[in-house]
Amino acid sequence: MVEGFRPADLREALEFRSQHPSIPIAGGTDLMVQKARGFALKPDFDKPLLFIGHLPDLQQIIVENRQVHIGAGVLLSDLIKSDKIPAVFKEAISLMASPPSRNIATIGGNICNASPAGDTLPYLYAVDAILVLKSSQAERKIPVGVFITNPGKTDLASDEILTEIIIPDKKFGVSYYRKVGTRKGMSLSKASFTGLADIENSNVTDIRIAFGSVAPTIVRSRKIEASIIRKPVSEIKTAVPEIVKKYAPLIRPIDDARSSAAYRKKVSLRLLEDFLRNLAS
Amino acid sequence: MKDSISKPIPRVDAPAKISGEAKYIGDIRFKNQLFAKTVRSSRAKAGIVSIVKPELPEGYFIVDKDDIPGINRMRTVVSDQPIFAEEEVNYIGQPILLVVGPEREMIYDIISKIKIKYRDETPIFNLDEAEEKGAVFTEYSYSKGKPEAAFQDGLKIIEDEYHTGLQEHVYLEPQGMAAEYRDNTMFIYGSMQCPFYAEGALKDVLGWGSDRIRVIQSITGGAFGGKEEFPSLTACQVAVASLKTGHPVMMIYDRDEDIICTTKRHPSIVCYKAGLDRKNQVIALAIDIKFDAGAYSGISPVVLQRGMFSATGVYNFPHLSVRGRNFMTNNVPSGAYRGFGAPQTIFSMEMLMHNLAIKLGIDPLDYKIRHLLERGEPTCTGGKIWDEVKLPEIIEKVTAMSDYRRKIQSNGKYKGVGVALFLHGCGFTGNGEQLIKGKIILKKNGGTVILKVSSVEMGQGAETCLRKIVAHTLLLPMEKVTCETIDTGLIPDSGPTVASRTTMIVGGLLRQASLELKDRWNESDNIEVSRVYRHPDYLRWDNDTFHGDAYPTYSWGANVAEVEIDPITCEIDVKKVSAVYDVGTPIDETTLTGQMQGGIVQGIGWATVEVMNPSKGKLKQHNLTDYKIPTSMDIPEIACEFIENPYEFGPFGAKCAGELPFVGAAPAIAAAVSNALSVPIKNIPITPEYLMELDKHED
Amino acid sequence: MKIEFVLNEKKQVIQVDPVSRLLDILREDFELTSVKEGCGEGECGACVVLMDGKAVNSCLIPAGNIEGRHILTLEGFCKTERYKIIEESFLKAGSVQCGFCTPGIVMSTESLLRENPQPNDNEIRDALSGNLCRCTGYNMIFEGIKLAAERGKGLW
Repeated sequence: MVEGFRPADLREALEFRSQHPSIPIAGGTDLMVQKARGFALKPDFDKPLLFIGHLPDLQQIIVENRQVHIGAGVLLSDLIKSDKIPAVFKEAISLMASPPSRNIATIGGNICNASPAGDTLPYLYAVDAILVLKSSQAERKIPVGVFITNPGKTDLASDEILTEIIIPDKKFGVSYYRKVGTRKGMSLSKASFTGLADIENSNVTDIRIAFGSVAPTIVRSRKIEASIIRKPVSEIKTAVPEIVKKYAPLIRPIDDARSSAAYRKKVSLRLLEDFLRNLAS
Repeated sequence: MKDSISKPIPRVDAPAKISGEAKYIGDIRFKNQLFAKTVRSSRAKAGIVSIVKPELPEGYFIVDKDDIPGINRMRTVVSDQPIFAEEEVNYIGQPILLVVGPEREMIYDIISKIKIKYRDETPIFNLDEAEEKGAVFTEYSYSKGKPEAAFQDGLKIIEDEYHTGLQEHVYLEPQGMAAEYRDNTMFIYGSMQCPFYAEGALKDVLGWGSDRIRVIQSITGGAFGGKEEFPSLTACQVAVASLKTGHPVMMIYDRDEDIICTTKRHPSIVCYKAGLDRKNQVIALAIDIKFDAGAYSGISPVVLQRGMFSATGVYNFPHLSVRGRNFMTNNVPSGAYRGFGAPQTIFSMEMLMHNLAIKLGIDPLDYKIRHLLERGEPTCTGGKIWDEVKLPEIIEKVTAMSDYRRKIQSNGKYKGVGVALFLHGCGFTGNGEQLIKGKIILKKNGGTVILKVSSVEMGQGAETCLRKIVAHTLLLPMEKVTCETIDTGLIPDSGPTVASRTTMIVGGLLRQASLELKDRWNESDNIEVSRVYRHPDYLRWDNDTFHGDAYPTYSWGANVAEVEIDPITCEIDVKKVSAVYDVGTPIDETTLTGQMQGGIVQGIGWATVEVMNPSKGKLKQHNLTDYKIPTSMDIPEIACEFIENPYEFGPFGAKCAGELPFVGAAPAIAAAVSNALSVPIKNIPITPEYLMELDKHED
Repeated sequence: MKIEFVLNEKKQVIQVDPVSRLLDILREDFELTSVKEGCGEGECGACVVLMDGKAVNSCLIPAGNIEGRHILTLEGFCKTERYKIIEESFLKAGSVQCGFCTPGIVMSTESLLRENPQPNDNEIRDALSGNLCRCTGYNMIFEGIKLAAERGKGLW
């Protein structure tokens, strides 16, 4: 029998985590499927489970110092309802799975699952979200793009728990999100595109571009973004083909059960193009 | 004054389903029951060299080919699939043995220790390879007029080819079967369409007579053809397991297993050579139909026949030759699925006509209308259209409902509208009904009537409709008319619940028997009336030459689909489907509308999101995460209407209905997509990936 | 692991493997078979029950996550006035065919109407997007839910 531990608070959770090899589990919507074995059977975990979904410390959404601190245990359905979460991020979340899954799935779980198709990720990459990782001894803060190392792989240490996600409390002047899914309801991303920008006095003052499901991890290039910033929007229009060309080598999707590499690449670049053209108009 | 038969009544099976009290096979427990799990081939084609089995804990068993007392083949049209593999395996997922015991966990543990050694052989993975190697299970052909001479006669020749893909049924309740051997009798309980098919298969496998076999249907959570012949296999497996262990044995599939190993809709390729005269009328047509039957022939010959006999759709071509072949591959066997071969050939036919019209610069609907079958004209198999064809009325109605004529003119790019016309042959194909001679019994018991039939309720509303036919005839309230339990020991064989035959054929027999019972009502408190099917005597069919009336009559329909294509992603948004059907007289408008709505949405799935590709015999989409069926977010507004056209031999004039709506949706959507993008569509599913390749607008 | 939770308004204390699925606890231990297993991976919604009043996929919930929660299955819900309204509306609208998806859909309907007693078409579609139905094509289920919202005005 696989053991499990249900701590009363975060301190107890971190204590357990420091002493036992364990699998932190919050909502369980990914883990329970990954470890499922069949009709009427328990899933098969190789380590004890550490239940953290219920911990009060992980449930809050707090705005302070122009930052939004989101507890890792906040449910996707609660994010959608919160007035502290930017609309474009809520749009992405509302297209994830379905209500009966969003009512148990957490933002921390989606991040730690580290799927290239994880739909909270492109926005978090785009806004340089910072993750707070705690152990019984220490706390560290790292950018989401550093935390996720490969498909399904993260930098989470065996004694750590992801407790908080910090995003800027900021609304971009232009925000664009498109999920290209396998169908409209309950779909998985074949590709997704997040574009954020600020425009002041007809100049691009900030731009963030992130692609989901088209490489081992989310694709974002600060270098290309920097080359766009400070350009007048009137110049963007003519620069579109050149920008698209710069992104093309970064988009490295695969063929799988859901789509083809060729489609994913083409559709990602078309969405980029659409975003840039809209920016200019 | 009594209500019309079409006036809706509440479904008799619905209350227990809404409250959750309805027990499906997986909800039932037998005393001392054991569970069974199947060990399957991991190879597409291989010899089995050895099977190393671990030592079994007490109370656990392995059940395989050596435990079969009778014949190790599943009885169906072609009884070629073993119940348990013998020396060879021919598809990934083929059953080899069962592990049976009291705890599921331990069963999985035992399975993980079974080692099977294979000797791989060269498999065949698709129709092209199969054709090249001549791997043909069945080949049929028929012709009408003088096609060869006609093609020599200076016609303009156009050739074309169409493809359709695999489709999984995704009945929400996975396959489940239980066996209980007691009192010298084998009791089988499970989710199924055809209890007497299972009984026949059990007779072969057990080597017993039907007096020692009872097949009892449990509440069946959807089937769509997927529980037509397949449950015969699981019934035989659990029966043998119960016989060996002396315990009741329960086997419930989980979804992955169900998708991997159960039958699917046949993938098809249909090739045409059309000969057009100077007025661009198709006067000669050669059709070559290829179905991928998978690893075993099974029920496929009859699927191919329906595909062939429906191959000209609603049109009349004076000179016709049709060839059909079922190919053997090492894919999971194909089988029955709503429409039974006809959706494939009618999709292809509709798109051929659509694409020809576009090529000729003619409106597709006008071009189709120029070729329509009319009453009195010969069917493709040289039979006769005996009954009135109300297609012109149907077309008028559906075009008015959808504003088709205006939209086809005015729609801009990325917005499309398309029309499909179609029919479905009612009841069994060819001489099927004469062979099976369906029988029903009505029994008066005081003030109540019991109806004994083998037609099952599987979600389609059969119980409500059949009881309604009897109650309406006898002027009894519904609760006074009940159905005998579907138990082969208690009911006559009125045939399987397939081929949209339940209402028209079985309901027709019940109607006749009810009329007799009505006349004799005052004779006594206990009256039994029975009926055996008799084919209307004006119908002719030669099963050797495929000449004559392939079906007693036809139901008809027209669909108009409206779509929008996303210019960036090429995703298809089906906005609306308008549908008009002639199914004779609707027996219950709500139940019937349910069939139409559901059939259209399954058709939308087949045409768009339901992608299933085997890669080297292994399905890439083997769970509901990857194999997508439409959700509540994916479906359009559907407007559905009926045109009355009573059929003399159907109860209250009813004809076939359940499969018909599936047939029309895919070609209507494909035509609409073609209209939106100005490209010919020749394959389904129409994925955004496929459209992206076709749509070169800016790349 | 010892778990205390409330099931259909009744407090329960069970000794259970913490990874056991809520679905199996309900079906196997409590014989609440209205809760169906259609896929075991959160895709079909046949196993939907309410947890603290919200629709959830019981196949995805490990026992360790039900401590202190209120679980409502159709066996508990079917005794209520609101259930009766849903039942008669589904009957009238022809929302049911094979019935295997129906218990999950009834629970999703209750979850929706608790949060939003007068949902519009899009809200109904979204609320049902986790409940697959292969028979009806959904439109007649939408009708049933609209009818329930109408007939049950004031109950939610």
